[in-house]
Amino acid sequence: MSKFHFRQLGIPMTRLFGILVLTTVFSCMPVLADTPEFTLTIKDHLFYPSELKVPANQKVRLLIINEDPTPEEFESYELNREKVILGGRRTVIFVGPLRPGEYSFFGEFNMSTAQGILIAE
Amino acid sequence: MLLDIVIIVLRETLEASVLIGVLLSVSRHTDINLLWIFPAMILGTAAALFYALSLGEISEWFDYAGQEVINAGMQYIIYALLGCIVCLLFSIEKLRRKYVKGLMVAAVAMAMVREGSELFVFYTAFLSQPGSTLQAATSGFIGLSVGVSAGVIGYYALVTQKPFVAKAFQAVLLVLIGTGMAMQATQLLIQVDWISVNEPVWDSSWLVAEASATGQVLYAVFGYEATPSMIEIILYFISMAMILGSVMLLNFFTKNSNNEVKP
Repeated sequence: MSKFHFRQLGIPMTRLFGILVLTTVFSCMPVLADTPEFTLTIKDHLFYPSELKVPANQKVRLLIINEDPTPEEFESYELNREKVILGGRRTVIFVGPLRPGEYSFFGEFNMSTAQGILIAE
Repeated sequence: MLLDIVIIVLRETLEASVLIGVLLSVSRHTDINLLWIFPAMILGTAAALFYALSLGEISEWFDYAGQEVINAGMQYIIYALLGCIVCLLFSIEKLRRKYVKGLMVAAVAMAMVREGSELFVFYTAFLSQPGSTLQAATSGFIGLSVGVSAGVIGYYALVTQKPFVAKAFQAVLLVLIGTGMAMQATQLLIQVDWISVNEPVWDSSWLVAEASATGQVLYAVFGYEATPSMIEIILYFISMAMILGSVMLLNFFTKNSNNEVKP
């Protein structure tokens, strides 16, 4: 009895490897349906709202909209988050599950004005 | 604003500077010409500029996860490159001479891309404000000088050691920096929920807060996180074990092949 080879399926090995990688990645990606979304807006180098309440012990999706024409970098040491948002663009980051408490964040490019707190409760 | 710019530039340059210092000391101890640093920096600057110009489009890929996915990919590649360099440090000279320079050029160029592109974006925004050029230039220069100093101190601290002591420190530092890169990549994928996490396993911010100067240096160089999740801890140790395992395997096969050659 001859040995089985993947070549017999007519699929090149590189494509088979690609399918394997994609299957692994997508099977690891969590379902987004149950993740609540909250919006933060950057305007005139300030965050709106500057205090954002989110549920504790649950992952949340933050939609950050930069209405300024200049870029900003959302940064939080306590949340371990860091992301550049170009002027007039929006982005998404996920935070949590967070223990109840207050987590400060700021805009790294305008540290003196762009300050905010995420309150998990 | 002056101090803000100093801190931003320092934070963005520190990681690459320390890495460059360690790799230059490796070159010095392995008799490799240090001039490889110039093409690496030119390549890194050009790639950072290109990346900064494409950042708007890249950020919107994969439902706004593009920036993290590309950055994480680069961090994992740097981890692999540093792992290969550590392996070659303990390998035969012929292999080391053939491959180490190319690996160092690639690692430094890639390490400059992410942080360099953020600096480009920051400076583009800052210089658009009237009358800010001199302020941006002087405070940027101070931040850059402090960042570069860290690399220079690291370099001289290593090259003044005896070769076998320096080699041990270089290997340990490269393993820690490489594993730190892998840790940062994991954190980026967590940020966009490509890796799902539960609550943190511990909170060491009472000991070293990430917002503190020490915490920021440890984060930039070794990927320190005060509140790691279980998946981060597991991936951190797997990354470290993979480099150490590769070094041991390479050593084993090199010794075996050397023994076979001997009459």
